[in-house]
Amino acid sequence: MSAPQYNADVAVLGGGPGGYVAALVAAQRGARVILIEKERVGGTCLNVGCIPTKVLTSATEFLVRAKRAGDFGVSIPQVAADLPALMAFKRDTVDQLVGGVEQLLKSRKVTLIQGTARMIKPDTFSIDDGKGGRQEVSAQRMILAPGSITATPPIPGSNLPGVVTSTGALDIETVPARMVVIGGGVIGLEFACIYEALGSQLTVLEMTPAILLGATDEAIAKRLHLMLRRRGMDVRTGAVVQRIERIGETLRVFSETNGAETATDCELVLIATGRWPNTQGMRFSELGLRMNGRAIAVDEQLATNLPNVWAIGDAIGGWMLAHKAMVDGRVAAENATGGQRQVDYRCVPNVIFTRPEVASVGLTEAQARAAGSKIKVTQFPFSANPRARILGESDGMVRLICEGGSGRVLGVHMMGPHVTDLIAEGALAVQTGATADDLAWTTHAHPTLPEAMLEAALGFRDAAIHIHSR
Amino acid sequence: MTEHLETTVDKFTFRVAKDRFYTAQGAWAFWMKPEAPNRIRIGLTDYLQQRSGDVAFATVQPVGTQLKEGESIAEIETIKTMLELPSPVSGTVVEVNPALEMTPEVINEDPYGDGWLAVVETTDWDVERMTLLEPDAYFSAMQTEAHEELKKQ
Repeated sequence: MSAPQYNADVAVLGGGPGGYVAALVAAQRGARVILIEKERVGGTCLNVGCIPTKVLTSATEFLVRAKRAGDFGVSIPQVAADLPALMAFKRDTVDQLVGGVEQLLKSRKVTLIQGTARMIKPDTFSIDDGKGGRQEVSAQRMILAPGSITATPPIPGSNLPGVVTSTGALDIETVPARMVVIGGGVIGLEFACIYEALGSQLTVLEMTPAILLGATDEAIAKRLHLMLRRRGMDVRTGAVVQRIERIGETLRVFSETNGAETATDCELVLIATGRWPNTQGMRFSELGLRMNGRAIAVDEQLATNLPNVWAIGDAIGGWMLAHKAMVDGRVAAENATGGQRQVDYRCVPNVIFTRPEVASVGLTEAQARAAGSKIKVTQFPFSANPRARILGESDGMVRLICEGGSGRVLGVHMMGPHVTDLIAEGALAVQTGATADDLAWTTHAHPTLPEAMLEAALGFRDAAIHIHSR
Repeated sequence: MTEHLETTVDKFTFRVAKDRFYTAQGAWAFWMKPEAPNRIRIGLTDYLQQRSGDVAFATVQPVGTQLKEGESIAEIETIKTMLELPSPVSGTVVEVNPALEMTPEVINEDPYGDGWLAVVETTDWDVERMTLLEPDAYFSAMQTEAHEELKKQ
């Protein structure tokens, strides 16, 4: 298929989880592929997102459990975080995974070009290597995967020292005594739990009426909110941040709730108010690429309005999740190499590494009701699951949103131990159209956490076994 | 000081407050006369809270909710069960115990006092109270149930 005047069959702009997967799959399907990346491959996810935060999540969870060792009949006389060692572990983990992706690209003969690209024609990029070198790369097919950038709301004082975004919050030299997190979404709450475990006193200021809005089922978000408050985290909703001031060594965050202003003092402020598609400065609109606000507009095959140009991942808006970008990458790579595949976003799991963890897939109760379906919600608490009791983590539940009558599983929402792993079963159920009965008659090993899924499914017919009823 | 009826079954002691009405499901209804003749404070009996275990979360229907007698007024999640408590009366929820959110264990600690759930402004109290159980009637029903439970074990 390759036309001789092109440098490649497929050029992919951006080496994040969407872009590098697109490059690998296109190469697997026989295309000559060029991947353009301005920093290190792996994108936000691998370098300053999912992966390094999960290193911190995992280490701090270890710390919290070690402090509770006595509950499990284990004596650990002294437990403390070693921040330099933790930072080194984080760096090593990221380096290893980035190295792994580079090796994969090499083994599939993908050409990696380092530099900042601008589109000069719909089939040509101009790439600046940052050292005065410039080259043009043309390809028959283009996949745009420029990712996203941290959204920065216009809060006066947000450029003060001590005010950071998620990237800055990853580098922990000292633990602040008090920390304010602006934004009670996924990123904000994950960092709040990390710093809380290290010993900071946390205040979370969320502008909307609920935490984790749109990220999980409303009932689960409410329950997590209550749990965080009960253990002393000050999580406020409906709190609009007005400005940040520095007073000596202290940062003072002014926020307004129902017209009343409060000032909260702290040593570190994290702004975690979401992300925007990274689509500026690449001359997309100048070349006639249709946009949807900041996002690149695409159809169900991820094709843009320009011929032979597809776009994927965070840059097209919607769910800004690495695994969603990876699926986009696979779809676009197939379509850029002769395929006709469509994306299907009905089943995109969302995992939140708070303490306890939260995970969701499919419709929430409110979404299912709004869609007009007759539904039945069934749930089962981890407090009645033996494995959760053994782990000493019995807070939380599994919640199934089922179609009335058929019992088809429309959504699965969980809070509790290891639910970010357990949600995979929920995703399979939603994706394959399984019913509560299918789940209930699937033998689940004992004693394991997924038994909570089995019991929740039995609840569809009011037949949960391991719970007292009255 | 509220007076109680008291019984011991196996190693458990259960108390029934003598100043209020009951449902067979284990809800109590305290008539707040004379200061509020249409208002009824509602809670869980000592027997029901002991049988259900330590309360982890108690979600009461919010203020303003209108309900009929028998409809769920609260969802109680304990370490071993999920319990929906049918309301002993019809009316509108006008008050929810604010202590339940942060310290739901008050239900276990003081089921007839600080562990109350809600206050309902009733619509049909004169009729509905005829259907509720007097303390000694609930006491004997509860004793029978407690002994049957013991035999099952």
